[in-house]
Amino acid sequence: MRRTLLILLLATSASAAELRDITDPAKIKDVFPAAARIRVVNIWATWCVPCVAEMPELRAVAKALGPEVALAGVSMDNMIPEMTRQKVIVFLDRQKISYINLYYKGNADDLSRFLGFEGEMPVTIAFDRQGKEVWRHQGAIKSADTIAELRKLLRRMQ
Amino acid sequence: MKKVFVFLLLSGLAAASFADELAIGAKAPQFSLVNAVDGKTVAFKPGDGKLSVVVFTCNQCQYAKAFEPRIIELAKQYQPKGVVFYAIDPNDEAQYAVESLAEMKSRATGKGYPFPYLKDGDSATAHAYGARVTPHVYLIDGGGTLRYRGYVDDSAKPEERRTTGLSNALDDLLGGKSVSNQTTRAFGCTIKWKS
Repeated sequence: MRRTLLILLLATSASAAELRDITDPAKIKDVFPAAARIRVVNIWATWCVPCVAEMPELRAVAKALGPEVALAGVSMDNMIPEMTRQKVIVFLDRQKISYINLYYKGNADDLSRFLGFEGEMPVTIAFDRQGKEVWRHQGAIKSADTIAELRKLLRRMQ
Repeated sequence: MKKVFVFLLLSGLAAASFADELAIGAKAPQFSLVNAVDGKTVAFKPGDGKLSVVVFTCNQCQYAKAFEPRIIELAKQYQPKGVVFYAIDPNDEAQYAVESLAEMKSRATGKGYPFPYLKDGDSATAHAYGARVTPHVYLIDGGGTLRYRGYVDDSAKPEERRTTGLSNALDDLLGGKSVSNQTTRAFGCTIKWKS
């Protein structure tokens, strides 16, 4: 019985999506593993219709590429007064998103200025190890196109 | 030289991606749209001598809905000073039934909108203004010139608000000054264009 409980507990915690709080846009780059040569940031929210539609596409990108490409989602849900981080975790679990996500608690204007986008979500931006932007897509991505683009970038970096 | 050219080319591309946004100082486009509340047509003729606020908003966007009480509050605050407010829904009702005239009427009457709620059925007015998201606001002076565009405030949460873009611009113009912060980055839901 105790063993069953332990297994259940472990299974539950293993399926939970990772969601870290962040307030400073400059800290986004710190979440990527050192091995990642391309670091992809996706700005999204559960209340953004095209963002929700592109989740399976992002999941496919994360699955298709190895450790040289790392993804991080930045949830803007905190902009809505009644939203909670728990709702975002539940959403990520349902979507089976295993890459890290950040729950942005800073000012939305600060983030859009920092990343240079006009407040329209989703937006997906790829950076190299030095933090230089190497690719950007405004609007929902298509996994096949994005995978091809990121592979092309990896080849160029060799 | 080559480097400079590439830089200029990239800068040009970056600027071009937002080139269709109505520029500060430009003449605002006129519109004639149906008010979902009473079915009557409301016409805005820039240069009518009135300070006018045009807000692109909608029924489905959580972020637009979060700003709804604030827009109503601002309308009630500034209408007695002669400012005219227009709310426009540019989303495609064929794809999203929640954006139909009936749903708009229900929302406007339920929330007590103190301004008309207009249907931009073919999104032509949103295109003419260069609106991208909901909510996206434009402030036009009595001469029909665009004086401010961008967000209502920089946060939908009153306790986290640092910059009140629209009310600052209104106060500047009503005080006989030029607008100190003419453009801000409107954040929100992408307009659901007619496909």
